[in-house]
Amino acid sequence: MRWQRVRIVKSVQTKVCVDGSLMKEYVLDEPLTEGFLKFLEQFGTVRYLDNLKKPYFSFEKEQFISIKGFVGDESVEVRYKNEFHDIILDYFHLLLYYHREGVSGIERLKGIEESMKEKIEIRLGT
Amino acid sequence: MNHMISDPTPVVYLNNAATTWPKPPQVLEEVAACLRLPVHEAGRTTGTGSTDYPSAAREALAAFFHAGPPEHFVFTQNATDSLNLLIHGFVKKTGKPFHTITTELEHNSVLRPLTTLEHDGAISLSVVPFTDNTVRLAAIKKVICPETRLVVMTHGSNVLGSVQDIKPIAEYLHANDIFFIVDGAQTAGHIPVDLADIPVGAYVFTGHKALFGIPGIGGFFISEPDAIAITRQGGTGTDSRTLTQPSGMPERFETGTHNYLGIASLYAGIRFINTVGISDIERTGRDLTDRFIRELKRTKGITIYNEKPELPVVSFDIAGIDNQEVGFILGRAYNIIMRTGLHCAPLVHRRIDGGNGCVRASFSYFTTIEEIETASAAIREVAESAHR
Repeated sequence: MRWQRVRIVKSVQTKVCVDGSLMKEYVLDEPLTEGFLKFLEQFGTVRYLDNLKKPYFSFEKEQFISIKGFVGDESVEVRYKNEFHDIILDYFHLLLYYHREGVSGIERLKGIEESMKEKIEIRLGT
Repeated sequence: MNHMISDPTPVVYLNNAATTWPKPPQVLEEVAACLRLPVHEAGRTTGTGSTDYPSAAREALAAFFHAGPPEHFVFTQNATDSLNLLIHGFVKKTGKPFHTITTELEHNSVLRPLTTLEHDGAISLSVVPFTDNTVRLAAIKKVICPETRLVVMTHGSNVLGSVQDIKPIAEYLHANDIFFIVDGAQTAGHIPVDLADIPVGAYVFTGHKALFGIPGIGGFFISEPDAIAITRQGGTGTDSRTLTQPSGMPERFETGTHNYLGIASLYAGIRFINTVGISDIERTGRDLTDRFIRELKRTKGITIYNEKPELPVVSFDIAGIDNQEVGFILGRAYNIIMRTGLHCAPLVHRRIDGGNGCVRASFSYFTTIEEIETASAAIREVAESAHR
């Protein structure tokens, strides 16, 4: 399998949503593929609706981020959960970065994710 | 008709309750003419020959709403601006705390100024619930007390498309010396509004919705200008020796240079509506809305929150998929523009969907049957996909 090397070209929109989450829309340097969705499945819940005019996907990771986009599109909408902006702001970038590394990237990102979770738990006092 | 935008992907625009699009060609031409010619307004220039748009538009508004004199129509930026000016001006004029009534149907343009004043201790506030999507006089009567001085309520709900029967409410409040501000943002231009027959204290409108003007122009009609304190001061082009704000109309509430382009667009929009006929516009809206609801009802998994709206607004949800996702898919995959979320009306959504928000489709005179069918088919695809 060819691992995709996707990079963020620019952030085109930023707003604070009704629930306090921060929404950013990113333009990527190449379209997202189903391979990226397989990678995302390692880290959260992926929903894939492939029988629409364009194949839609969403990714949900509690306390971290949610992603909405279409396979084949070069733009994606990312929402950073409201309580922990400072801890999780790099998470989408990390997903793109470690996806480039293939299988080994999954384990490495899970390690980073654990340390993020610890910081969140300390913040929550749990 | 599918309209072209710059990309040039055809777009189906069903967010007309926010801002109507497209605008009638006459509006675009009037705005262009306004830009081509030097500004002309009585008291502000010595020239003649150009249209005095503020005066012409006031005359058009007075005829359109059957209210006057024309000088009692005041221009503002939009309905929110009008409501702020009226609500805060009424409180300042009254000068001591009093009781105010509003409703669950309101937009934040009403709720936020009133809640701010409540927090400041300037008013106490009762919020009347809606029943069968409407607020009736009986519900308002229940919360009126000797200290009630003001009622602010919407004429048409921007979520449920319901029209309140404001005539008996206005008559009762007028008889009991309670000032009545009506938010007509969703009704002006959609249905006939005969202010000669409805004794409101003030009726608020915006230009950029069904009156077909451009964003940035709105206003209000006020029957009793003295009820509202002057809260803005500046140049009016009149009585310039006096260093305090003139108390005459409309200078009492209008300061600084007018939004001539906006006023020109509003003037042309009203003339367009008069040419077509408000009854025809109302009928077209109802036909489109009925058609859309019929289509939605054929689709499994759709909850419609207002099956019998009186305005061309339909609010719905698709089971198993969040309203924001529905909007995202329709917008990005199908080029169908609707509005999702709370529609700046949080209390309505608290009642109908637990505060999660929903998807809203809203139509204008320029929406076509083909667009309704295209949107319905796309919604069906999303609903079926969400249930697979």
